Amino acid sequence: MISIQLNGEPLAVPEHASLAAVLHERRLDPNAFALVLNAELVPRNRWQHIRCRAGDKLELFSAVAGG
Amino acid sequence: MTQRPPGSLSDRDFMRYSRQLLLPEVSESGQQRLFAAHIVIIGLGGLGQLAAQYLAAAGVGRLTLIDGDRIELSNLPRQLLYCEADLGLFKAEVAANKLQAAHGGLALRHHCLAFDADNAGHLLAPLLAEPHALVLDCTDNFLTRQRVNQACIERRLSLVSASVAHFQGQLFCLDGRSLAASGCYHCLFPADTRLSQSCSTSGVLGPAVGVMASMQALQALNLLLDINDGGYLHRFDAKSLHWQHAKLTRDPDCPVCSPLWS
Repeated sequence: MISIQLNGEPLAVPEHASLAAVLHERRLDPNAFALVLNAELVPRNRWQHIRCRAGDKLELFSAVAGG
Repeated sequence: MTQRPPGSLSDRDFMRYSRQLLLPEVSESGQQRLFAAHIVIIGLGGLGQLAAQYLAAAGVGRLTLIDGDRIELSNLPRQLLYCEADLGLFKAEVAANKLQAAHGGLALRHHCLAFDADNAGHLLAPLLAEPHALVLDCTDNFLTRQRVNQACIERRLSLVSASVAHFQGQLFCLDGRSLAASGCYHCLFPADTRLSQSCSTSGVLGPAVGVMASMQALQALNLLLDINDGGYLHRFDAKSLHWQHAKLTRDPDCPVCSPLWS
């Protein structure tokens, strides 16, 4: 296991876990979120291909469309 | 529709805009650029009505206001341009009348209709020949935001987008100078994104809308004055008052903006 941060909270994930796997493990609907990895947005169709590294800072948030 | 005559600033202009003219980033040339700018504001609700006031007051020469909604009682706590006497009237028309009364040199157009894929070409056509053109997305729903994004990308128009609901605000700017790296709204939130919140279902506090509208107007001025060219998503938490910033990233497979790079 490696340690990352998800929305500011520490989280242990399996080594080589993909970003998509982090959401899947937590039963989060990927279509409901955007994802920031170390202060850069990651397009949703890249989540399967990017693997977490120790110390990564992930932020998940939803679209806001009101005005 | 009146238009401020081109040329140098009048004595009255120097007095009126003195506080922003003092900024080296603005100065006389920047003020001339604001006079020459044309901004289309889509949505005249909480965001649009305030952004429009700031941009008109800063001396932006030409504004086009688009909204098909009428003023409702539940709008008044956050849409401060409107008052009880305006209830039932079209937002775009009332906003245009009030802004014109406050700023005689401003050239205004308004359209009391909802922006959609069919009228996008007609509504945005006047921007295409303008050197300092900009679109503000101040709409209140995801589908229209996707349409505004697509229309701007197709026409290579710069876009400043703000949104707010519940205790969350989001702001970003798409501009030709940063677009190859930033991608577009669809790269950030693909069309099949599931939304959880809107102002009408989850509520919002008036000043939270005002914060986002002010930031949107500020980003618009910064863009017109070449102070910054966007490429970042700024998220505001209206409970903690914290901002978070992240670099936007283009999706090479985006169906909306990838044709620009093929």
